[in-house]
Amino acid sequence: MKANTLGLVFFPAFDWALTPTHPERQERLLYTRDQIVEEGLLDLPAIREYKPRLAESKDADRVHIGVPNIASLITNAHLVSAGGAIVAAEAVMRREVKRSFALVRPPGHHAMRVVHGTRGFCTINIEAVMVEYLRKHYGLRRIAIIDTDVHHGDGTQDIFYHDPDTLFISFHQDGRTLYPGSGFPEELGSPGAFASTVNLPLPPGTTDEGLHYVLDNLIVPMLDDFQPELVINSAGQDNHYSDPLANMAITAQGYAKLAEKLKADIAVLEGGYSIEDALPYVNVGIILAMAGLDYSHVVEPNIAECPRQSAGNTAAIERLVTNWRRVWTARDSLRREALAKAGDFWQRRRQIYYDDSGISEQQQESVRLCPKCQGYLTVATEAEGRSLGYQSAFAAVIGRESCPQCRRDAYDAVAKAQKDKTHQHFYVQDKQQDVMIKL
Amino acid sequence: MLLGIDVGGTFTDAVVMEGATLLAAAKRPTSRDNLLDGVLLAIDDVLAGLDASRISRVSLSTTIVTNALVEGKAEQAALLMLPGPGMNFRGLLPVEPYWLSGYVDHRGREVSRPQRAEIQAACKELNRDLYAVAGKFSVRNPVLERQVADWVQADAAPAHISLSFQVSGSLNLWRRANSAYYNAAVWRHYGKFADAVEAALRQRHIQAPVYILKADGGTLPLNAARNLPVEAVFTGPAASVLGIMALSQPTGEAVSLDIGGTTTDIALWRDGLPLFAQRGAMITGYPTSVQAFRLKSLGIGGDSWVRRQSGNLIIGPERKGSAMAAGGPVPTLSDAMIVAGCLKFGDYGRAAEAMNIVAAEGETAAMAARTVLNQAAGQIVGAIRDMIAEQAAEPVYRVDDIVNQEPLRPEMIIGIGGAAPGLVSLVAGAFGTGCEIPESAAVANAIGAAAAKPTIDITFRADTAQGYFTVAELGLKEKLPARNLSREQAREMAAGYLARRAAQAGIPGGETTIVYEEEFNIVRGFSTTGKIITCRMQLKTGVLTVIKGREGMV
Repeated sequence: MKANTLGLVFFPAFDWALTPTHPERQERLLYTRDQIVEEGLLDLPAIREYKPRLAESKDADRVHIGVPNIASLITNAHLVSAGGAIVAAEAVMRREVKRSFALVRPPGHHAMRVVHGTRGFCTINIEAVMVEYLRKHYGLRRIAIIDTDVHHGDGTQDIFYHDPDTLFISFHQDGRTLYPGSGFPEELGSPGAFASTVNLPLPPGTTDEGLHYVLDNLIVPMLDDFQPELVINSAGQDNHYSDPLANMAITAQGYAKLAEKLKADIAVLEGGYSIEDALPYVNVGIILAMAGLDYSHVVEPNIAECPRQSAGNTAAIERLVTNWRRVWTARDSLRREALAKAGDFWQRRRQIYYDDSGISEQQQESVRLCPKCQGYLTVATEAEGRSLGYQSAFAAVIGRESCPQCRRDAYDAVAKAQKDKTHQHFYVQDKQQDVMIKL
Repeated sequence: MLLGIDVGGTFTDAVVMEGATLLAAAKRPTSRDNLLDGVLLAIDDVLAGLDASRISRVSLSTTIVTNALVEGKAEQAALLMLPGPGMNFRGLLPVEPYWLSGYVDHRGREVSRPQRAEIQAACKELNRDLYAVAGKFSVRNPVLERQVADWVQADAAPAHISLSFQVSGSLNLWRRANSAYYNAAVWRHYGKFADAVEAALRQRHIQAPVYILKADGGTLPLNAARNLPVEAVFTGPAASVLGIMALSQPTGEAVSLDIGGTTTDIALWRDGLPLFAQRGAMITGYPTSVQAFRLKSLGIGGDSWVRRQSGNLIIGPERKGSAMAAGGPVPTLSDAMIVAGCLKFGDYGRAAEAMNIVAAEGETAAMAARTVLNQAAGQIVGAIRDMIAEQAAEPVYRVDDIVNQEPLRPEMIIGIGGAAPGLVSLVAGAFGTGCEIPESAAVANAIGAAAAKPTIDITFRADTAQGYFTVAELGLKEKLPARNLSREQAREMAAGYLARRAAQAGIPGGETTIVYEEEFNIVRGFSTTGKIITCRMQLKTGVLTVIKGREGMV
């Protein structure tokens, strides 16, 4: 392996769109392709391009509970995108390259554990599929995911909300001003995984200055504390000042420096819809930074349009960082308090909206807080939508290290629900056996 | 009658073909100090007894450009770069360029212009007679490179200026810059050679048009190539592949092997055409936009040194001399072939002695010969499998291509070259396919040069939202006649401009082929505002005639 090689899985899915005029359409990475090729990046000795492969639906079943099954909800494009992330990760795990970047679409970070359809342009969570693949095949445990998309990575948060081995950090435009309307500091993981979810809502108009203040003073120190075996970047690019779907003010230089500081082992593209003014430059910047090459010449033609950060925003960002540093420092005692308060089970009830599929889901999770292991999870879900009609399911998730008692209890819970006919579909996602059982 | 000449590293071959018949062939040593001497000797030789005035076309595959570049005989040219924002190319080019401001963006929009004073300063500082200009996205809008060239012409009046969009119509500034630089660097060298060729042919009363082979297996009129000499690099392997096409006409999926003295050159074929390399050729370590066939060279040939090291049989890649049967110093692959009865030359007894040297305990010379051939074939099979796997692993950008693309499955193995007879059938056996060793293979390269069709390509790109189209190689950027453009209309326009470029180069028309095509809707604010259609069209690579029989002698 050469010192600084970057593995690049570039998959623009030039024949796939959610709908013909949707932001997730064939054209999205066209100008990025043009720029990458014109710059000669694919010919640099420091960059090795990989072809993605099709992930298997088994890979998705390790993460998701698809109702009625995941295969019926996705297209080959999703399997290529997830497979692209896996190829990128394996290039790093096999030490063929130092880092890798899966510059692929469709994206995944709004896809939650339970999947009834597509939300936020995402159907399966490609980073989560990759993470669980790595845990299964390479025995990894502690993994950090930093979501740098402008939208809260609510899907990734949901999937790892009860997992203390996954540190999920998301900065994003404040959920009060942008889809999906979540990602507030109070969402910090269920008691057993307290402070392994870190949400950093940033005010609209945040610039490189504000972002790098958060990075330098919070995110990088958190990573140093957590000591992950692998750092993953959900590399959305819609914080760019020109993005049509959001209101932030980050530049290509800001993104490239971010990539340089994060030193992610694997980056996976998420959103970013300024397809002409931002993506060609942001992607070239990230690629060069991850390959350890000079990115200082990557400047958008219309950089003059990037606004400056207001004093109010600077102050708000500093407050956010100060508050979070307090929580982070006290996280062990806060976790013990939360566990003591919750008792044997921690429960939450939520409504989840699928904007692309027009589905509204009611979900109730129950986490067993077991003193011997990481417990197990049950999820009850009911979904309604225009074309979907009504569907419901009850599922249990058995963790890799659930104790025999929890394992039995999880199976019993699903068997009882099935006997009582509480829902239409019944599942056990058994990570110990690496199987998804539909009862 | 077609006259074909191939200048190889050791021999210069010439052939004369008429229809499907090889009329005559000649082989002369290559004159390395002045390539033309050997070329003329071979021509005089092959034309002896033939009526030179009946020659309708002369076609030349020569190492003139390769040698100039590889042996450092090319001149120094000045390179002016308009890099725009992005990659820092410092240290990545064969010469330190002079950096200019101004650039075009990915949609071909002019973002800023270079300054007149910059060019004045550049010309003063560089003080060269040959220039190359390369600008970001110049294939999407040639105006800035043109402007720089005009100013350079006014200030320095150099002998030649290579523009990157003329050298290649494809994206990849790095490659275009390298190509344009090398093009300028060999410009005078090639021009002198072309002059000398023309003069010598005139002396011999040959009035026929003269063509030169390119790395992509097509020919260009000698004169048209004066502006694109870099295309004439690395023509030897291209001539070999074209020779195979003329001699064997592969169909379906096939593998061809050119097994010479020191190497085996492998090519892959699909639908009767050799596959092209996905990326341009490397020239002295720098990536260029020069297209070439997908070839893999393996260090196994007739003269490969065969020996045992710690009991293990080793074949090649070193060569110590000719076969022991022919008086060489060490056992070679050819000795194994002689013992196995696949080849007949030299002293059989010495060949058997060679096999005894490399025989394992208890092996007879005949058994050792089989062992050696099987192992050599196995190495070739491994290299073919690697090549197929590499091709299958090359990135594609469409879901459909990921799901449906199958790796190549060879149905036929074709072998040429002196050492083909002993190995091709063994390789075919491993793939369970038939095999073929065409006749006249000894002069396959000259046959390939003689028969290669002229090729030229254009890159047509229409952006209906902006209302213009470009034909990069012609330096055209013009308004579209209508607001809408269908794919069929784009193809028609592309065909028209291809015909125009061919006519400018002095090439008669021919069968065209679309080598690449893509079409995207441009959507802004949830409504479709236009289309971007790209169509790269080429006069199809191929041979003018196939060889069915032969007369005369080699």
